[in-house]
Amino acid sequence: MKRRQGWLFFIIFLFTLSVYLLINYPLQLGLDLQGGSQLTLQIIKEEGKVTRDELEAVNSVIDKRVNNLGVSESNLQTLGGDQLILELPGEQNPLVASRVLGKTALLEFRTQKKGTSTDLKALQLQRLTIKELIEQYSFAEKSQNDNNLNVIQDDLKNIEQELNYSSTSNDLYGKLIEIKKYVDKGITNLFIKTDLSGKDLINAGRRQEQTNSNWEVLLTFSNSGGEKFAEITKSIAGTNQLLAIILDGESISEASVGNQFASTGITGGSATISGNFSAENARELEVQLKGGSLPLPIEVVETNTIGALLGSKNILKSLYAAISGLIFVGIFMIFNYRILGIVSVLSLVLYGFFNLAIYSLIPVTLTLPGISGLILSIGMAVDANILIFERIREELYDGNTLTRSIDSGFQRANSSIVDGHITTLLSCFVLFLLGTNFVKGFAATLGIGVLISLFTSLNCSKTILRFFTTYQSLRQKNLYLPKNNFSN
Amino acid sequence: MKYNLELIKNKRKIIGFSTVLILLSLLGILYSTFNTSYKKPINLGMDFVGGNELRIERICKEECSNFSPDSVLENLRENSKNKNLLNNIKLQSQNNNKLISIRTPYLSIEESNNLISNLDNIIGPLNYESKDSRLIGPKLGKRLLTNCITSLLVSLFAISLYITIRFDKKYALFALLALFHDLLIVFGIFSWLGIILSVEVNSLFAVSLLTIAGYSVNDTVVIFDRIRENLKSKKEGYNETIQLSVNESFRRTTFTSITTLIPLLSIILFGSYSLFWFSLALSLGIIVGSYSSILLAPSLLLKD
Repeated sequence: MKRRQGWLFFIIFLFTLSVYLLINYPLQLGLDLQGGSQLTLQIIKEEGKVTRDELEAVNSVIDKRVNNLGVSESNLQTLGGDQLILELPGEQNPLVASRVLGKTALLEFRTQKKGTSTDLKALQLQRLTIKELIEQYSFAEKSQNDNNLNVIQDDLKNIEQELNYSSTSNDLYGKLIEIKKYVDKGITNLFIKTDLSGKDLINAGRRQEQTNSNWEVLLTFSNSGGEKFAEITKSIAGTNQLLAIILDGESISEASVGNQFASTGITGGSATISGNFSAENARELEVQLKGGSLPLPIEVVETNTIGALLGSKNILKSLYAAISGLIFVGIFMIFNYRILGIVSVLSLVLYGFFNLAIYSLIPVTLTLPGISGLILSIGMAVDANILIFERIREELYDGNTLTRSIDSGFQRANSSIVDGHITTLLSCFVLFLLGTNFVKGFAATLGIGVLISLFTSLNCSKTILRFFTTYQSLRQKNLYLPKNNFSN
Repeated sequence: MKYNLELIKNKRKIIGFSTVLILLSLLGILYSTFNTSYKKPINLGMDFVGGNELRIERICKEECSNFSPDSVLENLRENSKNKNLLNNIKLQSQNNNKLISIRTPYLSIEESNNLISNLDNIIGPLNYESKDSRLIGPKLGKRLLTNCITSLLVSLFAISLYITIRFDKKYALFALLALFHDLLIVFGIFSWLGIILSVEVNSLFAVSLLTIAGYSVNDTVVIFDRIRENLKSKKEGYNETIQLSVNESFRRTTFTSITTLIPLLSIILFGSYSLFWFSLALSLGIIVGSYSSILLAPSLLLKD
């Protein structure tokens, strides 16, 4: 009896501890409960698997970019070896994040091949025309003006003829974009790589140009980068070769270097890109350059956005479901098992608190599937109690004393309870290993639930029941068996 | 209260009933594979094929005005660059025109934002706080599908292994038969739901199948344990002992199924819509699972 009392104090201690934990370390809510966006980023590698180093390199670049974006409380984690999950809580637009993160931001400085001036001029002109056509297209689309669309179509055909290239896209917009890419590639190919790249930057910034409202991006080179830049500019100063700044294969600025730099090159270790940036574009480029270029390209493959209001509704709904589930299970148990039912309700309440306390300890982020795992595990937690209570009833029917029936009930049910839960735990384990983020939440809460239920339904129930039976008035057999059955 | 299920007498009926259920499920799966627009054994949802799903509420002073989905779509089409997309767009309204749900093929975040702002212009104002938007790329969808299938196979293998180690061959075989019976029937029901109500299955469906597998085996294990225990003390004949064991564990098995069903029903009734089909699949699995544990698996053990 003494040992049981020790257990009773231990359980009360655990309960107090859980309440303390829950008050001081509130539960972490998933985005489906608090609102926000979640982006899944897929690392793209043409051949072979993404190595651990590459994953970490990508992770750190993305992390820097996210921080530079100034998103608050964001959370970045890797998933399954070649994916990253970025969570942006609250009302933050995932659009900017996806634009900034999705670009490789590979910055190159290239010098023009000799004797390509005419080619370059032609391509630059075509690039301008295409840009205009794309703008016109947006207008024509909005106003549903078919005449204008036809004109754009004709212009596009002319350019295709000049380029000696025919686009393969189905719709007009796709064709325009395809041709633009073709022209961009053509321009880039007229320039030769140098050893100066985004790696030589130590900082990036932006400012508004003085002459107009456009923005420019400022680059600050490292010492060696500054030297390389001086060297490169020196080599083409005063010639008709241009210096191109190329971002992800697309030239964003082509500039000549004046004759006055022929002796030393452009020194000072900094440069500006004035490429008609809008304030937003300039900021995005700044963030990308500061974070460095991605070693492998990534693609946003999944975006989930949930409004804050919907999130709080989801919390309420889950709460209703959990509480009504508990109440109805409680009613069912008390109706069928009387005092024993009350014991199981008490251990269920303990079970709920212990679960939540474990969530805040580990911590487990609570999501909708997670909550459903928890609610489902309520039913499974009662499962063990039912097994035990049925045994106790059988012993009582056989005419055994109460204390003996309780003892052997717990003893005999022990093994089949542990056995029975193993298969559920197996499923949870597999789900947790192989599942997506979403699924993991369910597997975690269900798995934790099954484990805790072993403790609450075996130990807590037994202790509470023993405590009850210390009172003489609670020891009558008919409190344990429904009357009509007792005569049976 | 003693239960008296006449297992021995009804063996044929039970096995016949299960056979009919299995045939119906197979029929649904075959019909779904060959006679539907999606040509898959089951109607795969966005998680597996990729796409864009949007749910958003309108802000209305009193009652939300009526609108015809077709004209809204027509309007959206006029404002969109991506013609191809809008041939495959689906729009529904619920809750007295308040809640709008839209399904399209995969969109970029930018395109999706455009779609929402166009929608706002047509039937707005919209309550952005109530937005629920999911964009899944087709590549990720394929991956999720393989992931789910691997998880299912791995855990079925693990469970089979456990059962084979734990029981002798005959018991293991019948426990597994009962398990596959349960999974096949739940799968079949969702095939039919897909055909009749175009219900789609997502990754949570795979989760429910896995959970059902764990749960159903659990039930069967308890009953088989009882049978083994009683056979050792052998008072009556083999068949009679099996029937007695089933009747002895009947209360326990139905009760635990009921206590597991109660929380699931409360999720179906009160929980978030995103858990509706998931909880339904689990509930069906638990019902079929209890049936197969109590009636089917022990019947298979009976000798003629």
